[in-house]
Order: sequence, then C-alpha cells, then structure tokens
Amino acid sequence: MRHRLLLRATPSLRVDARALLPAALSALGREEVLRVLLPCGREGVPVGEWFEVLSQVLDDSLPCLTVEGDLGRFDFLGAALSDGSLEVEGNVGDCAGLGMSGGELRVQGSARDLAGCAMSGGRLQVQGSVGDFAAGALAGEMEGMRGGTLVVRGRAGARLGDRMRRGTVVVHGEAGEFLGSRMVAGTIAIAGRCGAHAGWGMRRGTVVFAGDAPAPPASFVPVRAEAEVFWQLLARDLAGFGGVFEDLPRRNIARWAGDLAVDGKGEWILPR
Amino acid sequence: MRVNGIAIDDGFAEAFAMKATRLVITAHERMWAMLAATSATGMATSVIGCGCEGGIEGELSPQETPDGRPGVSILLFAVSGKELARQVERRVGQCVMTCPTTAIFAGLREGEPVPLGRNLRFFGDGWQIAKVIAGVRYWRIPVMDGEFVAQETTRVVKGVGGGNLLLLARDTDAALAGATAAAQAMRMPGVILPFPGGVVRSGSKVGSKYSSLPASTNEAFCPSLAGRARSELGEEVRCVLEIVIDGMTEGSVAAAMRAGMAAVIARGAQAGVSRITAGNYGGKLGPFHFRLHQLLPEGAAP
Repeated sequence: MRHRLLLRATPSLRVDARALLPAALSALGREEVLRVLLPCGREGVPVGEWFEVLSQVLDDSLPCLTVEGDLGRFDFLGAALSDGSLEVEGNVGDCAGLGMSGGELRVQGSARDLAGCAMSGGRLQVQGSVGDFAAGALAGEMEGMRGGTLVVRGRAGARLGDRMRRGTVVVHGEAGEFLGSRMVAGTIAIAGRCGAHAGWGMRRGTVVFAGDAPAPPASFVPVRAEAEVFWQLLARDLAGFGGVFEDLPRRNIARWAGDLAVDGKGEWILPR
Repeated sequence: MRVNGIAIDDGFAEAFAMKATRLVITAHERMWAMLAATSATGMATSVIGCGCEGGIEGELSPQETPDGRPGVSILLFAVSGKELARQVERRVGQCVMTCPTTAIFAGLREGEPVPLGRNLRFFGDGWQIAKVIAGVRYWRIPVMDGEFVAQETTRVVKGVGGGNLLLLARDTDAALAGATAAAQAMRMPGVILPFPGGVVRSGSKVGSKYSSLPASTNEAFCPSLAGRARSELGEEVRCVLEIVIDGMTEGSVAAAMRAGMAAVIARGAQAGVSRITAGNYGGKLGPFHFRLHQLLPEGAAP
C-alpha cells in the first residue's frame, strides 16, 4: 500500500514525526494510517488530525511514502529510516533523517538543524538548505555521521559534519562556520564558500573545496606529494553529484594536511 | 579422428576446482603496471611448488580502470581460499606495493572477500588512512613516491584449473611452433596459461616412486623413455609439449582449448604436430571433463 499524506493544518506545537516511515506505513491500510499517533507536546495526536491521506494499492518493490506540505514544525522525519523511500514535498523541521541507516529521504524544501545527524547509511537529499549541525553528532555523543550520503542543494549552517566519522556530505551551496570541525573521518565536498574555522580540530577525513576555498589555517601544512589515484577515485565519485563537482576529475589539486593540533591526518583538497 | 591430417584423441582433459581471484594493477605508465604484474605472477606456474598459479589476463585501457590509468589484469588460482589469500598478500606486498606509482584493485565484484590491502596497510606504520569511496574501502599507504592505494579486499570465486592440451610433434621445432601458435590463440579474457610462454614440457603425473614427491614426470609421454616404459607415443613422435589452462569458468577454459586446437589444426599435419591429446586421471580427480572431440572447431571434418 502506498500512501500520500497531505498537510491540511499546521500544528501549534512541534510534532515528533518519526513514526512516518515508509516501511511501517505501507503495511497499514488508510484507516490505520489516520490513527497513527504522533507525539505533540504531552499528547499523541492522530495523523488524521493534520493530514489527509490518499492511499493506493500498489505493488512497490520498495516501500514508498510521500508527505506534502510545509512540515517545518514536524521534527524527526525519516529518523531511523532503514529502507524504502520517503519524499517530503515541502520543508521539514529539526533532526530530519536522524540516525537513518538505509533507504532514501528526499526533502524538496529545506531542513532545520541536525539534519542527517548520526546517520549511518542511506541517502538524505535536501533540495533547499539545512540548518546547523547537519551530519553531526547528537549532544553528548562522540561520533557524528557514520555512513551514508547527505546531499544539500542549498546552503548548510554551522558545524556541518561536526565529529563526522564516515560517509559523504555534498553541499552545492555555502556552509557556515566550523565546517568539518572535530571531524574523525569521511568526506565533505562543498561548492560554495564557508565560514570561519573550517577544519578546526579535524583528526582525519577529507574536505574538498570545489569552489572558493578559505585560506588553510596555520595548523595545516601543504602536502607536496601527488595523490593521483586517490583523487581520481574520489573525484569520479563526486562527479556524479553534478554541478561544479562534475568537472572535478579533470582538475588538478593542491592538498593540505591537518589539523596538526590533533592528529594531522585530515586533508583539505583544493582543486585548481 | 583426423582433422587436417592431425589425429585428435577421443579423450578428455580433466580439470578441477580451484579458488580464483582477479586483480587489477594500475600505474602512471603502462610499463610500470606491466612490470608489477609480471613480477606478481612470477614463479606462479604450478600449485605443486609455487603456492598458486598466476598469469596476466590482459591489459586494460585507462577507460577500463577505476583510477583512469593504464592497467593490467592478473588472475591467481590456488587450491584453497586460505592459500590464495596468503599468496595475494605476499605477492601484492612484495611485487606491487614496491613497484613505482602502482595501485591495486579487486577485479571481481562477487565472491568471498579476502584481504588485499587490509593487512598491507600496516606498512604505513600508523600513517595509513582508510577511505570509503562509493561504498568501497581503500587504504592509502604513504610511500616514497606518494601513496600506495590498495582496495581493502578482493573477491575469491570458484575457478577451474588444469585444463590442458598435449601436442605430439615430429621434432622440437614443430612442437615449439605449434605450441606457440596455440598459446597465442588461447590468450583471452578469463583464462591464463601459467607456464613460461604458456607452454610446459615437464608434464606430470600424480605421485612418484619417491614418497616425498606429490608429482613426477609423465613417462608415458616422454619420447626418451619410449620402448622402456609404458608409452603413449607413436614412432614418429619425438617431442611433446603441453599447454595448461586455468580459467575463471568452465566455459572460458573450454573456449581457450577450442581456440588452441583450432590454431594447431589450421597449421595442418605438415607443420609437424601429428596428434592432439589431453591429460586426465581417468575422470576420478576433477569434475570438469573437456572432451577434445566436442571442442573441435566448427566445420572441422574428420
């Protein structure tokens, strides 16, 4: 069963929408979906309170769910997503795709803070912008994103990829301060400018500045040796994200290693 | 049966299952990839004494390799997955990692993973870095010309080892010419001919009068022993050469044998090869039986 949820009314409080998962809802009939409770304040409010539900009996190979409307007050959309496809035609609130391990979450609008936070697999694509701490770690946790792919067509806020451990983050627009701060590993590729303190406390991992790169900080050193093989492997993968990344395999690079204040095994790649 | 004057035995080549893997070696220039491949497949003629059988499968253009550089594809075969894993690590570590500008990748997507760069990374002495790109994990090991990139694992599948052709000829010149032509025709994707030039003169039988030897000379095909030991050779045969084929599949071994037979048959009996036969163990050793009559080139009239 494939469902399409159309937002009819905007809730006055924030709503925890983590129950809207394609695999779970595709097993339910329309009436059952209308009764699914979404935590809102101290209460659980049924889906039917805010959404109109259109249902079709389709034999999808993967469970699919579409949610339509401005869901800026709905948090945790796609949280813990493990398979199937969830499409949101509009904005979403905080923690979109939090801890997702598989499947695909596509947001046609923008997402607020903590998008893709602690995700370990799957693909999260945001057509608009994301807030702070995207692909980062939850408060108190040691590791941020641990796998999967986060693609942001617009702008990313501050602390993108903070404590990121593995996976790929691609931003077609700009990013805020502290890009890749305390990064443990993984790859961040950014097409636009970024704010101050990029790579602060970066232990390992790769940041590719496909557009305007900031001046490397004093705790980074230039790497004189070539990394032709690695660059071609990475650039060919990033080229698939289109935009300015498409041209990366044909560009030469400069590399900087750091942050020497921690482990010094991270790197900045500056295509020329 | 005679085709173009050459007697084709109504027998079969008996082959057995082996563990196989394909590795792709790339380098800044084609020459260095080939040198690494040649070195990595050196002394890999027979599992009897080398641990594995290996050879160069073919060259790869920059468009065919993961990093866009010229490459060479090699195949390695061993009797067990464990031994193959040991050989892969040893040969890649000593012959590929040491060769300027090279990188190494798995050439198969399916099969059981065995370490490729997983343990070689420790050569980096703590400076090595893992990188997952498009779901594949690589190790970047700092070396003096930059870094050695090795995919973490390669895949091991079931292969077929021991396909063979025996060419019986009137003299050395004829045997060498026939074997060379056959070996050249038999080089194709999915197979290797592990012996020097693809040709082996010391065809063996299983066992020996000496208990410590697992294999010994196949006296039935030794012209020098004709008349003294049980012989398979006619009066006119003074030189026998064998071509051994290892392949990724039963079909690839059969295709190579077919091509080899066609090349020899096309030269005709006047070129000096008077008979084609194949080695087997009565069908008791290996499950793959390649019957020579079924491998004759299409349209070959008896």
